[in-house]
Amino acid sequence: MFEFIKFEVKYRLNRPVTYIYFAILLVLAFISTSTDIVMAGGSGGKVMENAPVALAAIMGAFSIFGIFIISAVMGVPVLRDFEHKTSSMIFTTPVRKFNYLGGKFLGSLIITILIMSGLLWGAMLGQVLPWPWHDYTDKLMPFSFMAYWSPFSVFIIPNILILSAVFFSGGTLGKRMVVVYAQGIILFMGYLVAGEFLSELDNKNMAALIDPFGFGALEVTTQYWTVAEQNTLLFDFSGIILQNRLIWLGVGLLSLVFTFFRFSYSISDGGGRKKKKAGEDSDIHMVIPQINQLFGFKAQLTQILSLSKFYLKWLVKQGPFLFIALAGMILVFVIAFLSGTSGYDVELHMTSSRAVRMIVGAFSLFFVIIVVFYTGEIVWKERDIKMNLIYDALPHPNFVVLASKFIGMVLMSVILLALLMLCGIVIQVIKGYTFIEWNIYFTTLFVDTLALMTLYIILGLFIQTIVNHKFLGFGLMFVFYVSFIVFDELGIEHSMFYFARASLGQYSEMNQYGHYFTPFSWFNVYWFGLAGVFYAMAILMAVRGLDTRFRIRINLGGLRLNKQAFISIVSAIAVFILSGAFIFYNTNVVNEYRNSDDQKARQADYERQLKQFEFLNQPKITDTYVEVDIFPEIRDFTASGYYILRNKSDEPISEIHIQRSPDFQVITELNFDRDNELKEQFHEFFYDIYELSQPLAPDSVLKLDFTVDFRTKGFRESGSNTDVIYNGTFFNNTQYFPGIGYYSQFELSDDDDREDNDLEVTERMLERDDPRGIAQSLFGDDADKIQFEIIVGTDSSQIAIAPGYLQRHWKEGDRSYYHYKMDTPMVNFYSVVSADYEIIRDRWIPPSDTLPEVNLEIYYHKGHDYNTDRMLQGMKESLSYYTLNFSPFQFRQLRIMEFPRYRTFAQSFANTVPFSEGIGFIQNIKTDDVDLPFYVTAHEVAHQWWGHQVTEAGVKGNAMLSETLSQYSALMVMKKNYPPEIIKEFLRHELNSYLTGRTFERKKEMPLEFVEGQGYIHYRKGSLVMYALQDYVGEDSINAALRRFVKDWGFKEAPYPTSADLIEYYRKVTPDSLQYIIDDMFRYITLFENKTTDSYYEEIEEDQYKVTLTVDAIKYRADSLGTETEIPLQDWIDIGVFAEDEDGEDKLLYLQKHKIAQRENTFEILVNEKPLKAGIDPINKLIDRNPGDNVKDLELKEDTI
Amino acid sequence: MHLSIKNLSKTYGNGVKALIDVNLEIPIGMFGLLGPNGAGKSTLMRTIATLQEPDTGSVTLGDIDVLKQKEEVRKILGYLPQEFGVYPKVTAEELLDHVAVLKGVINGRERRDLVQALLQKTNLYAHRKKNLGGFSGGMKQRFGIAQALISEPKLIIVDEPTAGLDPAERNRFLNLLSEIGENTVVILSTHIVDDVKELCTQMAIIHHGEVLLTGNPMDSIRGIEGKIWSKSVPKEELDSYKENFNVISERLIAGTPEIHVYSDTKPGEGFINEFSDLEDVYFSKIKQSAEAVATPQL
Repeated sequence: MFEFIKFEVKYRLNRPVTYIYFAILLVLAFISTSTDIVMAGGSGGKVMENAPVALAAIMGAFSIFGIFIISAVMGVPVLRDFEHKTSSMIFTTPVRKFNYLGGKFLGSLIITILIMSGLLWGAMLGQVLPWPWHDYTDKLMPFSFMAYWSPFSVFIIPNILILSAVFFSGGTLGKRMVVVYAQGIILFMGYLVAGEFLSELDNKNMAALIDPFGFGALEVTTQYWTVAEQNTLLFDFSGIILQNRLIWLGVGLLSLVFTFFRFSYSISDGGGRKKKKAGEDSDIHMVIPQINQLFGFKAQLTQILSLSKFYLKWLVKQGPFLFIALAGMILVFVIAFLSGTSGYDVELHMTSSRAVRMIVGAFSLFFVIIVVFYTGEIVWKERDIKMNLIYDALPHPNFVVLASKFIGMVLMSVILLALLMLCGIVIQVIKGYTFIEWNIYFTTLFVDTLALMTLYIILGLFIQTIVNHKFLGFGLMFVFYVSFIVFDELGIEHSMFYFARASLGQYSEMNQYGHYFTPFSWFNVYWFGLAGVFYAMAILMAVRGLDTRFRIRINLGGLRLNKQAFISIVSAIAVFILSGAFIFYNTNVVNEYRNSDDQKARQADYERQLKQFEFLNQPKITDTYVEVDIFPEIRDFTASGYYILRNKSDEPISEIHIQRSPDFQVITELNFDRDNELKEQFHEFFYDIYELSQPLAPDSVLKLDFTVDFRTKGFRESGSNTDVIYNGTFFNNTQYFPGIGYYSQFELSDDDDREDNDLEVTERMLERDDPRGIAQSLFGDDADKIQFEIIVGTDSSQIAIAPGYLQRHWKEGDRSYYHYKMDTPMVNFYSVVSADYEIIRDRWIPPSDTLPEVNLEIYYHKGHDYNTDRMLQGMKESLSYYTLNFSPFQFRQLRIMEFPRYRTFAQSFANTVPFSEGIGFIQNIKTDDVDLPFYVTAHEVAHQWWGHQVTEAGVKGNAMLSETLSQYSALMVMKKNYPPEIIKEFLRHELNSYLTGRTFERKKEMPLEFVEGQGYIHYRKGSLVMYALQDYVGEDSINAALRRFVKDWGFKEAPYPTSADLIEYYRKVTPDSLQYIIDDMFRYITLFENKTTDSYYEEIEEDQYKVTLTVDAIKYRADSLGTETEIPLQDWIDIGVFAEDEDGEDKLLYLQKHKIAQRENTFEILVNEKPLKAGIDPINKLIDRNPGDNVKDLELKEDTI
Repeated sequence: MHLSIKNLSKTYGNGVKALIDVNLEIPIGMFGLLGPNGAGKSTLMRTIATLQEPDTGSVTLGDIDVLKQKEEVRKILGYLPQEFGVYPKVTAEELLDHVAVLKGVINGRERRDLVQALLQKTNLYAHRKKNLGGFSGGMKQRFGIAQALISEPKLIIVDEPTAGLDPAERNRFLNLLSEIGENTVVILSTHIVDDVKELCTQMAIIHHGEVLLTGNPMDSIRGIEGKIWSKSVPKEELDSYKENFNVISERLIAGTPEIHVYSDTKPGEGFINEFSDLEDVYFSKIKQSAEAVATPQL
């Protein structure tokens, strides 16, 4: 056996490609730790680049791509003997099968591990070597071998063993490399499926187990690791990681055992049995008929046709193709039926666009992989089967065979796509959605995806031909892929540098493919031009015959370069260059192009030059009048109107600072109603300073006329404007209309970005007690409340909506006009929406006669009426609850308008709620689902109170007033309308989102009362905290507090309220014994580790049961990075006992708060029904990182005496 | 049509001189290229078959410059390489059809007839629906010749076609070759002397990349007539015979070595004058060449 090991190792060590593989991994790993080019696994922010988690992610990503290396090394050792026909020699020597196979396997394994260790060495070198560009030492912790070794040993080494075993088995038994690739693809699919499942709360553990690479397990293990933990915790073989590793190592071992028993130790190479043929009596003296040889263009076409068929047949007849296609189809079904797709695991309707998205989403990378491997196989086919000498001496021109291989591959892709499309349609039908939109299937699959695959087929043919080494070719394809990361780092972000990049954008049923189609088409023309050049080069340089030396191939290529070939190349180059020029003209000349570094540098400059003006005393807008004309078909709009500005200060104001829209598509013109002089203009920042001839005296006003001209010309490189589109225009005033003074939103907020641009790292928001912040609302310092009036004109096929009440609607030619006016002051934040809408109208009748009725309207895209009833219901229930518990609704009308899913949120403007297509209109809500449209509606309606009635200050913690309160309000409305299980499900997701969200924190986690725009805190933790608060203190008490809060702070201008103010209202309704929870919830970051360790019950007498349970309770305080400190307990915590009702659902028998003052506690509880489960904090009201172990099944304790 | 090879030389990257200034004129008819393994036969064949580039020299076929006008050569070439593989899961009929398409047999009906005829001719008709993976060595070789015969080639190159065939297969194969039309240049490379003797009108012996002899096999045999002597010798004396006589070949006859010695006169006691054979020509030429290499020239 040792001989075989030695032979195998020596063989590999003599092959240059071994070192190339090693070098590739070494360099990649090196780059990722020595520079900040690669940041994986959420490193960045405060997670260090050499944190074990980050290293695991980096090594993991590269090791998945390492599949091809492992398959190249492990698939071939036995295969090679068959191909070189040495097997007969070996098998006739007295070598035992075990030694032969074992030696081959171990020898190759040693090499594989050596190669893959490049990752380990590269990563370590990257940190240790003192490279000059190592200028970001704040991203690295002191070197620790274990930080590198732990992910390598726990993930990479077992992965090598697993893959090695499986590939060795496939190569040895299958005797063809394609079998090995098929295995690789299947394993990769396991990884993809796991990825899909991870997004769903209930399937996480399954995801962790089915991922052969262990990254699902990694993800689940680290899902709640805080920043501090990510930097310090190491991996070991325990928990779900251990289970995963055992399962897959088991699979590896089984395949080895299987190989050993199935491997036939004889010379037959799997071919058919040799039958001795009986008497052959064919006529060997037959005259061979005369034929005509044709070589013209027509003949070549016929040849291509016939050969394409031949290759297609060969490709499709391959076992692996069928296997891959079948596995792919299964994958699509699995994803369709097992994974949720939108928030709270609520499923979307299976529209054609969703079915297509599902297919493409799971497959895009996978398609490329199939294409890459099959091009390698097909280019090498004749040589692999050793028919190349016959082939090469045949009189076909090179392009005929290459074209046929290409067409064969494309047709194979078409078949694969057609099968997947069929799956999509079947799934749609099964899911009961029978509206099949063929154009979506066609456009996305057979235009977009097929174009991508085709380009990669050509690239594959090209690289395989030029490199002339199959595995090196695969390697190069991979490096090619990775090189994009380097491009990115070098600031080369333009799509023209990223092979095959052309985006159809996101499909929106409202706007369809919209304006994305034009750039998509041009980019494809461009890439196909380049592909044409590649293709021509491949034809010229194709190896024919036995001379593979590059010099000779170039000479031969010269011989092949006839007039036809020359014209083809020149025209391909011409297409490439001309389309490139056209694209460049559109993206960089007609439109403005900036890469992200330039963009950030510009933001930094803005801050450096203009921050001095941030708190300059400026007049405030008090009235806005504007006429907007939208031209959807050309994606333009104009707006003209005026602001009335009032000096609300005690000082006269002589300088007016205006921030025009910095969007290059916008031209803004300004005109004051009095003499002034343009004192200074910062062109680059669209920032003007006007000096008034007569300073504006306190309390007096001026009028500022403005026009805004928004034009869409050509197409942009990326980030194309999704505000003004063919159908579904939606923008707000802060994006395009002039503002007053410095706009702090333009500042760079990320610490890393600030440091890169030599800016001091600052706080994200003003301190809570900063008077400058308290003097302005969250909507900025341009205005307090304004009078608002607007006329919106649009195409007559569309309806335009803005805040205010409709005054008049008229048509002029093919244009429709809508005049809206708000009759009470509102915040300076308004939207303009225009689309082809259907309308549902309804009314909400208030509980009291003194209040006006409210008109309810939902504007939706035709066909999107699945959930409009739920939304209407949500509006009504919310209005009722909020009116009853907080204050009356301030408007007589409330409207919801759907907008395309390019953006996925809903936003509350005065009496107006634009609501994304993606988060409520097309969800398929089932009875046990969280009613997403209802919830989102309730949240947005709550903003009419929290934000519009009470407008908070622009300081830290302010989102606790608007967002957290809206979450609370929505929760209470849901609680009233839905069973407790739904609420529990909702809170379970909120907890998961909060715990996950804090692991991605880039700066510091704040306590709720100081939240700095951190969604995971003000929404997710907000829900949890407020639900617990009302549970401890009482819903009525909290509502009473809020009622007083609105009364005191509603409809007010500066000073604006802060979280400190709100918390005082909470304190007043909270009993002394529970005051500590206010601190726990708002002032600190508090976590619990509650767990039931032991539980049993006894039947004391009939219908009398005694439950005894032992529970652990630990309470932690966490700092801003998540470092936890245990603090003493003195807390009231729920103890609960459950039984089961007739439907098999949990039923509460007992739920009481008990004072818990130590870690370990035992309770005895009497219930009068047979109990099933019991535990501490069983409904998960407290924030607990392991909520699953709070409840335990009860065991019956038999009398042992 | 006439194949003319002039000053052809080829040295491989590893220093092996495969062809040294080879000059050959190959007329229409069957031409045998005889030489031991590694003599450079295959290199020469592949060069003529447009699959390899020589370092220097020229090859012309009629008016065609073989090294430049590869496409033109390929149109009229039938080539059977020494070793080749096939698509294992494709039938003989399909693959022959596939090759025929590449050879420019575009008309479907013509092609079908041609394929059928070739299968008949090569006695593979009964197996036409069988996957090539299941073919025996002889069947595969016949398939090889079938594909080489597609479209009436003017130049046929068969490289070691009989190696590894059993005698019956070999006979069948040679019969097939001899059927090939008369206005065709057929080059048959082999290390089996009998192949050449049985088939060829012209031949060349090539060794270590050099042409040692060209001519008609019969003339060549006549050239050594009366100079070949044989003797059975005891095994233990073999070495001393080799030292003292110009032994060109040895073989075992019923376990006893019999040596052939090349000599103008009777070399000694016990030697019998043999009927000279092509094999003796071959061995004597190779022996001479080996001595030329072994003995440094003064």
